[in-house]
Amino acid sequence: MAGIQIKGLSKSYAGKDDGAALESLDLDIRDNQFVTLLGPSGCGKTTTLRLIAGYLKPDTGTIRVGERIVSTPGEVAPPERRGMGMVFQNYAVWPHKTVYENVVFGLKLRRIATAEARRRVEETLALVNLSGLEQRFPGELSGGQQQRVALARSLVVEPEILLLDEPLSNLDAKLRERMRVELKQLQRRTGITFVYVTHDQGEALELSDQIAVMHGGRLQQYGTPEEVYRRPANKIVADFMGIVNFLTGEVRPSPNGNARVVRISDVDLAVDVSPAFEVGAPVDLAVRPENVRLSRKAGGNALEGRVREKTFLGNFTEYWVDLPGNNSLRVQTHPVEKFEVGSPVFAEIDTGECTVFRRNAA
Amino acid sequence: MSVTAIAGEPRMRAASRWFSLESFVLGGAILALVVLVVLPVLSLVVASVVSGDGVTLSYFERALTGNSYLRALGNSLVLGSWVGLLSVVIGVPLAWAMSRTNMPCKPLVQATATLSYLAPPFLTSIAFVNLFSPNAGLVNVFLRDAVGVNVGFDIFTMTGLVFVTVLHTFPFVYLLASSALQSVDASYEEAAQILGASKLRTALTITAPLVAPAILSGALLAFVNAIALFGSQAIIGLPGRIVTLPTRIYSLFDYPPQYGLAAALSLLFVAITVLALYLQRAFLARRSYVTLAGKGARPQLIDLGAWRWVLLALCVLVFIVAIALPFGTLIAVSFSKSWGLDFWHNLTLDNYRFILFQYDVTRRAIVNSLILATVAATFCVFLGAIIGWIDVRTKMPGRKFLDYASLVPLGLPGIVMAVALLQFWLSVPYIVLYGTFTILLLAYVGRYVPLGVRAANSSLRQIDPSLEESARILGSSWGNTMREITLPLIRPGLFAGWLLVFVPVVQELSASILLFSSKTITLAVAVYNLYETGYTEPVAALAMVNMTIIVIAIALARRLGASRLGFKTQNSNASVGGTA
Repeated sequence: MAGIQIKGLSKSYAGKDDGAALESLDLDIRDNQFVTLLGPSGCGKTTTLRLIAGYLKPDTGTIRVGERIVSTPGEVAPPERRGMGMVFQNYAVWPHKTVYENVVFGLKLRRIATAEARRRVEETLALVNLSGLEQRFPGELSGGQQQRVALARSLVVEPEILLLDEPLSNLDAKLRERMRVELKQLQRRTGITFVYVTHDQGEALELSDQIAVMHGGRLQQYGTPEEVYRRPANKIVADFMGIVNFLTGEVRPSPNGNARVVRISDVDLAVDVSPAFEVGAPVDLAVRPENVRLSRKAGGNALEGRVREKTFLGNFTEYWVDLPGNNSLRVQTHPVEKFEVGSPVFAEIDTGECTVFRRNAA
Repeated sequence: MSVTAIAGEPRMRAASRWFSLESFVLGGAILALVVLVVLPVLSLVVASVVSGDGVTLSYFERALTGNSYLRALGNSLVLGSWVGLLSVVIGVPLAWAMSRTNMPCKPLVQATATLSYLAPPFLTSIAFVNLFSPNAGLVNVFLRDAVGVNVGFDIFTMTGLVFVTVLHTFPFVYLLASSALQSVDASYEEAAQILGASKLRTALTITAPLVAPAILSGALLAFVNAIALFGSQAIIGLPGRIVTLPTRIYSLFDYPPQYGLAAALSLLFVAITVLALYLQRAFLARRSYVTLAGKGARPQLIDLGAWRWVLLALCVLVFIVAIALPFGTLIAVSFSKSWGLDFWHNLTLDNYRFILFQYDVTRRAIVNSLILATVAATFCVFLGAIIGWIDVRTKMPGRKFLDYASLVPLGLPGIVMAVALLQFWLSVPYIVLYGTFTILLLAYVGRYVPLGVRAANSSLRQIDPSLEESARILGSSWGNTMREITLPLIRPGLFAGWLLVFVPVVQELSASILLFSSKTITLAVAVYNLYETGYTEPVAALAMVNMTIIVIAIALARRLGASRLGFKTQNSNASVGGTA
């Protein structure tokens, strides 16, 4: 098994002047991990994956797999010599070959004896729950089944690294849910290093050991799902990882001692402010909607406001609360507590789960 | 710092990549294109300005001042213009009837257009000569002897030449116009109508501007195609002393051959063709906003009421004149002992026996054409596949040049291609190709390689690159990926392309007429020579053999589902220079 070390990797496409597709990426993907490259379209995640696969040649930087250098600007080991597997967004299951022929393709190239190859194909098809469909053509399979064929085809050659390019984005919601669970289990069972590209933050949170959040060709944050969700490195990450409110405020000295607080309108919130912020600095406080509790009574770390809108969403109710000073707050609470539109409320912020960003900074 | 492949031995591999199958095949294709197209055209240019004593413009001067050359140029332009205009007159109503009305028997219209395009004009010319030659033409004889009026139609005139040529070229306008009409979504017209525009006003202000570029483009294709046809211009034009560019260039090869003048005249010919094609592309490009909406477009059908029978009558008339009349005539002639008013008194199979079993020249010609067409089509398709692959799948520098080079033959009329090949291979020492099968093959592959490239290009674009990439990452080499994945997937498209080349090559005349020898005589040349020597009835039999081969090829194509790729889109744009 092998990890991937990426150093100073850049790539820009000819004819595109609006910035590089990928700029000086450093990324250390450890062995046996499920690593997700997450970001909106055009963020450079697919470019990164294709650089790792060897379909693209980097402008600068190197890619190492284990001890071996596989890509430099001068020389790129071709995809067929990398011993990786790849699953494509459109499955790329060959329509003119049966399921069996698709899966056995890589084994034939490795000159595995027919009997042994047959055994391994059957084993792998069982692993992805496709036993019995060996002689079908891809055209006779559903999207989910085709996706499993693509998986089996990559897994049967026992790659050290499996690259997955938005493999679930063409499936319907139910199937996507089930395939997520299967992918996670598969990665655990095989111990293969998975590099997974997606724009779906829920998918990334559920599957990954590590998430690399990318935006505009640059790596924004690299960390565990909990880190990137609870402690986003910047506003881009905070915004991309889920719904977030940015409350405009100012850093103030704390009345009791050296610590400092964030003042929103007239209320001081006891947020953990890093020493890098000077007193008086204009800041945005990132608050996730689930970290707010609505109440009819005043309390500590509570902002007074008025309910503007209320939406029942099944497992929770969403409120839009107008706060003084042009701030508004999106809140998600348990549907049992009910607040009417127009009624005054107090929004109590769980300050331990908030992050402070400099205003106007990204 | 060297890149270490996972499978090891980095140094060896880096070196061996220069000699890999991939570079060998790609390099071979590029070289082939250079030899087939680029070098002959360059040597044509050289020959037109170089004489025994250095660089000269005298060839061009003579070509542009000599009376006989100017007359040929003028005749070609007159012919092309009339044909372009009349192709619109016939093609647009048919296209409109086909795509926008509730006229019955629509398959008849489609069949008429397809057959008219496929029918080689030198055969229809011969058929109409049998009907309308001033002395012996059946219709004229009938009018003179049986009816007693001497007002017959003389086919050996510009009118006759335009008439025969239009029957072959109107499908260009028809196909482009009908596909444009079909891709104008009804919502455009409905939007105008809901705002208060009448049907006529809608047609004039919305529909017509949207399809006009396609019609103009079709007319230009008809023009280019018409002036390149050697066969009809020789068969109908020469007896009437109407000399055109192809026939004038041809006569320059009478002993002693005047290569320099032929080259200069050829380049003038190319200039006209390229200019027309450039305009055609420009018009077609303006059509793009129609095709953008083309997906799932739902054209508005007009209920014509009783008028649809009038329109149908017009379509039937076109069918009779363009298909039934010439081929009925050829069939009748081929079974008659001696063509005349009472030909049905003495029907015979002798003509077929003669050309198929007794006369070795025609037998050889049939076999030669079948072999040449098979080999040429195969070469075109493989060359096309590789060039198409380079264009669609690689970022190779210069691949655009390659793409253009493969389009150059579209601007070369058949006879010009032959002049260029002769010019080039006569200047190459030690290699004697004149009179060999090889030079015919080079001419055919060179002329029709654009069809192969187009077929491969369009099928490759339908195949997602990830299908190839996923084979590569599983460890498959370039060659293995091509063999296992790419070629099997584009096979239907390649097969359609193969037939698209095979059909015109079987009946190629314009280039073959300058390149054949008694050993390498081809079907079309045999027809022409036999006709020249006055074998009226065996010529018709040979023409029927020609048509039979084509019909079998087309039937095969349809049977194998290749018609899915359609003669519609491919023929109309691709085969400029067509069946000549």
